[in-house]
Amino acid sequence: MNQLTHKNAAVTRIALYLFLFATVVITVLPFAWMLSASLKLDKDVFTFPVRWIPEEPRWQNYEDIWTKIPLGRFIFNTAKITVIVTFLQLVTSSFAAYAFAKLDFKFKNQLFLGYIATIAMPWQVYMVPQFIMMRNFNLTNTHMSMICLQAFTAFGVFLMRQFYMSVPDELCEAARMDGMSEYRIWSGIMLPLSKPALSTLTIFTFVATWNDFLGPMIYLTRTELKTIQIGLRMFITQYSSEYGLIMAASVVVLIPVIIVFLSLQKFFVQGIASAGLKG
Amino acid sequence: MQKELKKNLIAYSFIAPNFIGFAVFTFGPILFAFILAFLSWDGANPIMWAGLDNFKRLFNDSQFKTSFVNTIVYTAGTVPLTMIFSLLLAVVLNQKIAGRNFFRTLSFFPYVASLVAVAVVWNMIFNPSMGPVNMLLRNMGVENTPGWAADKNWAMFTVILFSVWKNMGYYMIIYLAGLQGINPELYEAGDLDGVNGWQKFKHITLPQLGPTSFFVLIMLTIQCFKVYDQIYMITQGGPGTSTLVLVYHIYNTAFISWDLGYASAIALVLFVLVLAITVIQFRGEKKLS
Amino acid sequence: MRKTLMTLSIITILLLNSVAFAAASGSQEKTGGDGVTTLKWALWDFDATTYYEPLISAYEAKNPNVKIEPVDLGSTDYMTMLSMQLMAGDSSLDVVTIKDMPGYNNLVKSKRLLSLNDYVASKSVDTAQYGGIAEQITVDSDLYALPFRSDFWLVYYNKDLFDAAGLDYPNNDMTMAEYDAIARKMTSGSGASKVYGAHYHTWRSAVQLFGILEGKQTILEGDYDFLKPYYQMILDEQADGIVQDYATLKTSSTHYSGVFYNNSIAMMNMGSWFISTQIAKVESGESKATNWGLAKYPHPEGVHEGTTLGTITTLGVSAFSKQQEAALDFLGFVTGPEGAAIIAETGTIPAIQTDEVVEIISSTPGFPSDDASKEALKVYQTYLEMPLHEKAGEIEVVLNQNHDMIMTNNISLDAGIAQMNKEVKEILGR
Repeated sequence: MNQLTHKNAAVTRIALYLFLFATVVITVLPFAWMLSASLKLDKDVFTFPVRWIPEEPRWQNYEDIWTKIPLGRFIFNTAKITVIVTFLQLVTSSFAAYAFAKLDFKFKNQLFLGYIATIAMPWQVYMVPQFIMMRNFNLTNTHMSMICLQAFTAFGVFLMRQFYMSVPDELCEAARMDGMSEYRIWSGIMLPLSKPALSTLTIFTFVATWNDFLGPMIYLTRTELKTIQIGLRMFITQYSSEYGLIMAASVVVLIPVIIVFLSLQKFFVQGIASAGLKG
Repeated sequence: MQKELKKNLIAYSFIAPNFIGFAVFTFGPILFAFILAFLSWDGANPIMWAGLDNFKRLFNDSQFKTSFVNTIVYTAGTVPLTMIFSLLLAVVLNQKIAGRNFFRTLSFFPYVASLVAVAVVWNMIFNPSMGPVNMLLRNMGVENTPGWAADKNWAMFTVILFSVWKNMGYYMIIYLAGLQGINPELYEAGDLDGVNGWQKFKHITLPQLGPTSFFVLIMLTIQCFKVYDQIYMITQGGPGTSTLVLVYHIYNTAFISWDLGYASAIALVLFVLVLAITVIQFRGEKKLS
Repeated sequence: MRKTLMTLSIITILLLNSVAFAAASGSQEKTGGDGVTTLKWALWDFDATTYYEPLISAYEAKNPNVKIEPVDLGSTDYMTMLSMQLMAGDSSLDVVTIKDMPGYNNLVKSKRLLSLNDYVASKSVDTAQYGGIAEQITVDSDLYALPFRSDFWLVYYNKDLFDAAGLDYPNNDMTMAEYDAIARKMTSGSGASKVYGAHYHTWRSAVQLFGILEGKQTILEGDYDFLKPYYQMILDEQADGIVQDYATLKTSSTHYSGVFYNNSIAMMNMGSWFISTQIAKVESGESKATNWGLAKYPHPEGVHEGTTLGTITTLGVSAFSKQQEAALDFLGFVTGPEGAAIIAETGTIPAIQTDEVVEIISSTPGFPSDDASKEALKVYQTYLEMPLHEKAGEIEVVLNQNHDMIMTNNISLDAGIAQMNKEVKEILGR
């Protein structure tokens, strides 16, 4: 009996590792390919069968990406927008979410429904009205336009609300009894408690803003304002595509995202836990 | 009354910073897009009233019909597959195994990586004549290997597989979080009763994950109905119209024909559809609990 | 009470927004105190294109009080971005580059472009110098743009591969049947060392448009039966392994330049834009097809040699520009003989194609030295890849979809053509 379970456990373990191995292969493949392509000439990128280790690695690609387009400038622009957007998103979302989760007020449900309903709307639909409006505010060709568009999302409020819902109401009640104002409760109790949720929102916002392409493309037409995703597209010119350079730049651009992800990973998992449970 | 007012004002002051930005930059344009569905506009000439004309046109638009059906098929295929695989992955990565954090990070990669690169690799792997998948199938003795993205009968399936793979890690993390919220005592009780792993999964894990699954279901459904980028990267809606989805058709109508009113009308249909399905899911969830 | 408040707030939001929509776009004063006029020129791929810079500096040298500011909207989705920038009376662009005909048609239809009739009349611009193009883009007797680039299709071939096979190079007067025969003879080998006789890129124009060279029918009439023999020829080549498989090319996003560089195809039909790229890549060492030549486009039996497909790039002036006069002057420069000479010097084919221009291009370093290749640049007649039509954009979508189906063998040729006929007639009848 004991031996049998022992054997079973071993089989399960092996199956487990096989499954993991398969997953690793299919998730790592694109990155291996990206790396390998980034060291090739454009014409060799698509040759079959795939040559994973280029015969003569072309490190030149990693030099060219900085000179062919103002990549440094683009990274700076993107970083600037991403950091501001993420900060605003965190503050305003958690602020608003507190009201939706812990306070009672008129039109609470209607307002919340209004928020959620917009998640279902594809951006392509209201892109045009939005663009005309921004232009009339004289915000096109400013980083301000990207910040305004991305800092106030329904998703952020939704996520933070789900987290606050899971915090026991008694905690707030007790604080109110002690005469704490709602603002103090938010900053003194809720914020410190919501580190996991905040980390989650940080990584989501960071990835979304960092990888955003269509927004910057429409709003930022002056070269000195452009972001890295547009920069990546610059290597796809009308008559040829410089895939070697695209991939080299993709690798460089991926690094900040990975750093942010790794540094927040610990909190990250707990964050969605709380949000998901109350979903 | 005075107190009530003060209470409301405090609450509104919390919402205001986000709400004002949200109302002006997102909600306003969306409302405008709704109204646009009843207008006729090309973005430059004066706006004209169209009444229900845009909606009447839907009935004679074969591209709309095709894209409507395709969107449903895509959603019906992607949602369950993504849920199953991400749950499976989450359960495995919740075990105490070596290198767990490493594996977790890795499985999140496809979601974070640039779509351009990821799509290119995917098309390589599933290349009908020289891709490793078909090579493998041929070695296994399959004679008529699928044409994948190049075959009208397989293209949708290929896109679905891609979406599952790309989003698996994202929902895996949500599930993982849900799993960690399950009270360990429940499993200990199960151990005492001598139930096996499968039974534990079926009778403890699954029911306990209900709320998480619900969250995943809603977000995933909405995401599937709005799909555009992934299809654009893998098949561009082809071959022919076999993977043409609603948002793709909306994009064509709005930015190739500059028929903004009609594009909004299609979007309105999509919106109502998503809303209806979300409401049904909400009802179902309430019944279950 | 609740409802009224809710309604009120929605109305407020709407009002706020409609005020924003209605507000006249901020008028930007572009003429500075020092009398310098700044013109904004919408274009794509500024850094990757060789002729923008010399054009601008030549014009600025001639007109010291004008500054040209390029606005790069990127090449993917360029026309969408352009239309967006020109939305509802925006004056931030002055001169616009127009990439394709459906886009031109949309700009004209939505009155985003200024009519050039008065300008052409007052400066007595000779539109005949564009070889019939100006007439092809005239809408209801109004002209809204002038071409500055005019590319046409020809055959690129790999001399080394022909030498190795001991065959004559493709000549400048090939019928379709002769072209097919050469392609079949040139195919050899297998596996990685296989040489394909010809190569068709995944664009619809590379295959379908042989049909319009007869000059009897256009692709906008809703009847596509005349395309069948051409499709059949290429489908047969595909089935016999004479050319690479469309489905494979499409799913692997293979770029046509790569296969040509790698010495794996003997002939390739492609636009003249590839000349300057090929020259540059031979020089950089990336193109291994160093010994190459050009031949005129193959043509159906009974059609004059030098009949080919053309695709034009035009310049227009925004209807909302506040400096139309200055913009028109710049447009005149780029589309005129001076501009043409500058463009030709970068190895690109300008819209004005005189013997001098052919001379300039064929004497570019790196251009094939034989006379036949030089002769190949002389065009007898071009048909636009996509003529001007009100519904061109929609029709193009349908044609592309069905082309895709036919070439991937997802549908029989007959059924595919029938489908094109049906769907395009639907669009035309709407």
